[in-house]
Amino acid sequence: MIPYLMSISAAFAELADDLRFVFIEKDRYQQIITGFFNTLKITAGALLVGVIIGIFIAAVRTSFDKNKESMKLRGGPGYVLLGILNAVCKVYLTVIRGTPVVVQLMIAYFVIFAASDNGVLVGIFAFGINSGAYVAEIFRAGIMSVENGQFEAGRSLGFSYLQTMRYIIVPQMFKAVLPTLCNEFIALLKETSVAGYVGVIDLTKAGNVIAGRTFNYFIPLFAVAIIYLCMVMLLSWGVSRLERRLRKSDR
Amino acid sequence: MTDNVLIRVEGLKKYYNGGAVKALDDINCEIRKGEVVVIVGPSGSGKSTLLRSLNLLEIPTEGKIYFEDTDITDKKVNINTHRQKMGMVFQHFNLFYNMNVLKNMTKAPMTLLKMPKEEAEKKAFELLERVGLRDRAEAYPSQLSGGQKQRVAIVRALAMNPDVLLFDEPTSALDPEMVGEVLDVMKTLAREGMTMVVVTHEMGFAREVGTRVLFMDEGKIIEEGTPDEFFDNPRNPRLKDFLSKVL
Repeated sequence: MIPYLMSISAAFAELADDLRFVFIEKDRYQQIITGFFNTLKITAGALLVGVIIGIFIAAVRTSFDKNKESMKLRGGPGYVLLGILNAVCKVYLTVIRGTPVVVQLMIAYFVIFAASDNGVLVGIFAFGINSGAYVAEIFRAGIMSVENGQFEAGRSLGFSYLQTMRYIIVPQMFKAVLPTLCNEFIALLKETSVAGYVGVIDLTKAGNVIAGRTFNYFIPLFAVAIIYLCMVMLLSWGVSRLERRLRKSDR
Repeated sequence: MTDNVLIRVEGLKKYYNGGAVKALDDINCEIRKGEVVVIVGPSGSGKSTLLRSLNLLEIPTEGKIYFEDTDITDKKVNINTHRQKMGMVFQHFNLFYNMNVLKNMTKAPMTLLKMPKEEAEKKAFELLERVGLRDRAEAYPSQLSGGQKQRVAIVRALAMNPDVLLFDEPTSALDPEMVGEVLDVMKTLAREGMTMVVVTHEMGFAREVGTRVLFMDEGKIIEEGTPDEFFDNPRNPRLKDFLSKVL
C-alpha cells in the first residue's frame, strides 16, 4: 500500500516540477497568454468579417434567384447589374472553397500584404475572407429553407422585398442556421491554428515554441488542446442557450 | 371609377418555357365592387395563376391589369402600395411563423400604414373576436389548428382594410371538419359586401355565396354566369363534363 502511495505522490511532485519548468521558468506562460489572445483576436475578427461578407453574398445570390424571372419580365438595369454581382460572388465562392486556407493565408501575408508584418490583421483578413464563403452558403441555404409561402404572404400584404426579408425571412432563417453557423465558428476557431505559418504567435504556435525550448512536448501540447476544448465548449454552450431562446415560437 | 369596376383584366397571358406552356391564354374579365367571383375549373386550368396575377405574385407575360383604374402591370407603378389594398389568403395559410397571432395581424398595418400600436391591436382584437379567436392572440401559428390558422390568415388580410380579398383554394389544405368554420367566415364577409375573388373546389360555396362563377380550362375562361345559370344550365360541354364529376 505505502509504496504505491509513495509513487503516486512522487508522480504528482514530478508533474508539478515539470509544469513549473515548462510554464513558470523564464515566464514561458506569457507565450500561452499571447497566443490565446491572438487566437481570440483572429477568430473574433474573422468571424465579423465572415458574417458581413456572408450576409452580403447570400443577399445577392438569393435576390438574384428569387427575382430574376420577374426582373427579366419587368425589364430595367437591375437584372443585368444583379446578374454581374451574382457571377462575381460565384467566382469568389469557387476560388475560396477550392483552395486550402493555409495557402490563402500565405498568399495574403507574403504576396498581397507583403509590406505589412502585422500577422494578426492579415490573419483576420485571410480567415475572414475564407469564412465568408462558407457563411454565405449557410445563410443562402437558410433563406432557401424558409417556405416560399412566407415570402409570398409578406409581399401580398404590401411589404417590399427588403421588408419581407427583414421582418419575416431573416428571423426564421437565423433560427434555422444557428446550429450550422455554430459549426462554422468552431471550425474557424480551430483553423486559425495554422496562423503560425505567417509568424503569428497563436495558441498552437505558443505551445510549439515552448515544446521546442523545453523539449517537453506532452505538457504544452496538452495544455493547448485543453484550452481549445474549453473555448469550443464555451462557444457551443452560448449558442445552444441562444437557440433555446429563439425556439420559443415553436413551443 | 367606371361602373364600379375594381379590377379589369385585359388580354392577360402567362407563358412558361417561351410559350410552350400557356398557363393563361388571353384572359379578359372584370371584378366589380361588392362582387363575390368564384373561379372553378380542373387542376392545371390556370385559375390559381389568374388569381395570383391579380396582385402580381405572378408577372404576366402580356396583357394589362387595372386595379382601381391604375395599370399595375406598368413598370413605373409601385406594386407594394397597391398590394396593401388587395388582401390575399393562401391554401397553406402562410402565417408568419416567427410572430404570434397578434403580431401577424399588426405588423403590416403598423409598418406600412403607420397605424399606432394601440389602434392596430384594438382592431386586431376586434377582428379576432369576430372569428372567435380572441383568446388565441398570444399563440404562435404552430399552436393553432388548420382551421384556426386560416381564420387568422383571413383577419390578417382584413387588418389592412383591403378593397378586395383574393382567396387561393382557402379550404383545400384543411381537414374536412374544419372546412365549415372557414367557409362561415367567408360567407359572413360576403354578406357584409366585401369584394372577393375565390378560387375553390367548394361548389356549395360557389352556389350559395358567389355572385358570378367563372369556369376556366386550359388557360381560358370558357364560361361565366350567375350561380343559377352556371350550375343548372351549363352550356359548354367541358363545363358539363366537369360539373358531372364534381357535383
